[in-house]
Amino acid sequence: MTWDEFLWFAIPAMVCWITAGIIVYKRTNPVIINGLMISGILLFAIFIAGLWIGQQRPPLRTIGETRLWYSLFLATIGFLTYKHWKYKWLLSFTGLIACVFTCVNIFKPEIHSTTLMPALQSIWFVPHVTVYILSYAMLGAATIASIVQLKKMNRGKVDPELYRFMDNIVCVGFGFLMLGMLMGAAWAKEAWGNYWSWDPKETWAFITCAAYLVYLHLRLQNSYKKFTLWMLPIAFIILMITWIGVNYLPSAQGSIHVY
Amino acid sequence: MKKSIVFVSVIIAIGFALQLVLGEFDIRFINAPLNVIMGGIMILSLVAFSLFRKNKYYRWFSGVSLAVSLIITIGILCIFMGLIPQVQTRNLHQHDIYSLIGLRSITTSWYFVLTYFFLLLSLGATILKRLYIFNLKDYAFYFNHIGLWVLLFAAGLGAADRERYTMYVHEGKEESNAYNSDNELKKLPMSIALSDFDIEEYPPRLVIINNNSLMMQPEKKPSFFQIDKTNNEGRLLHWKIEIQEYIHRAINKEGDEYIEVEMPGANPAAKIKATNINTSEIREGWVFYGNMMQSFAALRLNDDYSIVMTRPEPKRYVSDLNIFVYGKEEEHVILEVNKPFRSGNWMIYQYGYDNKAGRLSTYSILEIVYDPWLNGVYLGIWLLAIGSVCLLWSGNKKKRRGTKNDMG
Repeated sequence: MTWDEFLWFAIPAMVCWITAGIIVYKRTNPVIINGLMISGILLFAIFIAGLWIGQQRPPLRTIGETRLWYSLFLATIGFLTYKHWKYKWLLSFTGLIACVFTCVNIFKPEIHSTTLMPALQSIWFVPHVTVYILSYAMLGAATIASIVQLKKMNRGKVDPELYRFMDNIVCVGFGFLMLGMLMGAAWAKEAWGNYWSWDPKETWAFITCAAYLVYLHLRLQNSYKKFTLWMLPIAFIILMITWIGVNYLPSAQGSIHVY
Repeated sequence: MKKSIVFVSVIIAIGFALQLVLGEFDIRFINAPLNVIMGGIMILSLVAFSLFRKNKYYRWFSGVSLAVSLIITIGILCIFMGLIPQVQTRNLHQHDIYSLIGLRSITTSWYFVLTYFFLLLSLGATILKRLYIFNLKDYAFYFNHIGLWVLLFAAGLGAADRERYTMYVHEGKEESNAYNSDNELKKLPMSIALSDFDIEEYPPRLVIINNNSLMMQPEKKPSFFQIDKTNNEGRLLHWKIEIQEYIHRAINKEGDEYIEVEMPGANPAAKIKATNINTSEIREGWVFYGNMMQSFAALRLNDDYSIVMTRPEPKRYVSDLNIFVYGKEEEHVILEVNKPFRSGNWMIYQYGYDNKAGRLSTYSILEIVYDPWLNGVYLGIWLLAIGSVCLLWSGNKKKRRGTKNDMG
């Protein structure tokens, strides 16, 4: 198997995922949704396995190859999380992002061969990035919910259902966030000699965790309701700094994470 | 909450005072066995204090308000860390306000250390309070909180013993000395011999350069063509490129002849055909990266431009070593990036090589890290990871009694 056969797998997989993402909102038999998602996932799994055998090495060396894994992981974990939590938007959203990565691979084939430097050739690379993508998606949703809730609070009537949603989604998003950070630490020990060196990206990732941790603990009390809700947008801003802002901060220019 | 805010402010104030009087906190002062003794005292104290867990001060110390205050404090200190460029080695001549109050190296400042310390105490108190009323249903709480405590404990106290060395080993030689983080040469309890250092490289990229300025084109954002076994056609600006022949390890035999030879100086060579899309002009010839004895070869397109090869990037660099850590068996190790070698408390990494010489580097640079607390850190990481999976699974479960939520 080579990249020449990619379209035969990619197009059907995307059709499956997009269809699942749309019909999940209609009253569809869950068996159909499961079938579509699993078919898409299997198609990708088979292509990756074929590429592995055909190229006689694990497809973990080029940027194009890592994108294959992102699509696979996002679709799989997104599907499993949807099955457990029943949030329809999660299925559509992760399916959409999986398709985005697939499309990049289709429309920009010349960067298939952009090679990964030795430090990035690790099995930690894809899981570390994937769980962060998932975490950011969920925490983003929580931020939107918190803004809605703050507006409702100003009008004098909060929605308890929205609180339940926020608490759940922040917990799950935080779980992925922590896993991402812990994987980063384990990988850092294998690659750089130390599991934590307060590199700017690591520092801001830690601050992001601390912010969401503050929210989770404040929710254990009933006081400071407004401050508690405000923690979510504040935490999300810190998350954005961790994700993108670090590349622009003057203090971070020497960072090993700045590409 | 007011009590907590006051308490935390006092800690910071004391920290600042200590910083101004004593200067920075050098964790290495509490290296073994001091850190072990301190750790033991901390644990015993926590257990002793927990006998008073019904006392209102204990309940406040192990409560949510103080936890939130401490987390916010450490978060704010880290924000400073994230905004003010931090220095690794203290510049004794720097006297600006940031340096004097320790903001240029926050992790060695007294206020950071004190906050960290009280966070560990408060967290320990919370854990013990819950252990007394042990309930299997609180598994998420235990994994997360105990995991974090173990991690902070091992990482914090372990920092006193952790040491990092850089060792230069030459091909065919044996080495026991390495440079520590203060750039002093130290003898390590091991002997490392390098039999071979090798780099595997990716095929190079082709790029168009200006014959006079030698700048890659287009100047603002150069366009490259990656040579790839699976893809021998492409484009560079308005030239269609076709790779007719590619030799990864080539020597220029004479004139326009290139042969494949496995030699240290062998470098990539490619026979290419370039067709101008607008004028249909064709240029054919060899492009060669060159080496120390033989000059590079370019394909001249016209008076202004030529095609050359870029420096091949490393795919993998490997050291073939024999490592003998005193007290253990000698081991033959193939060391590469992301695949370090561990022996007891020592971990050895492939760090670098003679960049200028590239594949011809006669020495390999190893990074050697000593960390006796690593297993404690890994335990903490594992427990936290399990705790995170618990969060993924259970989310925010409501407690049966009352409206107080309970999360892991």
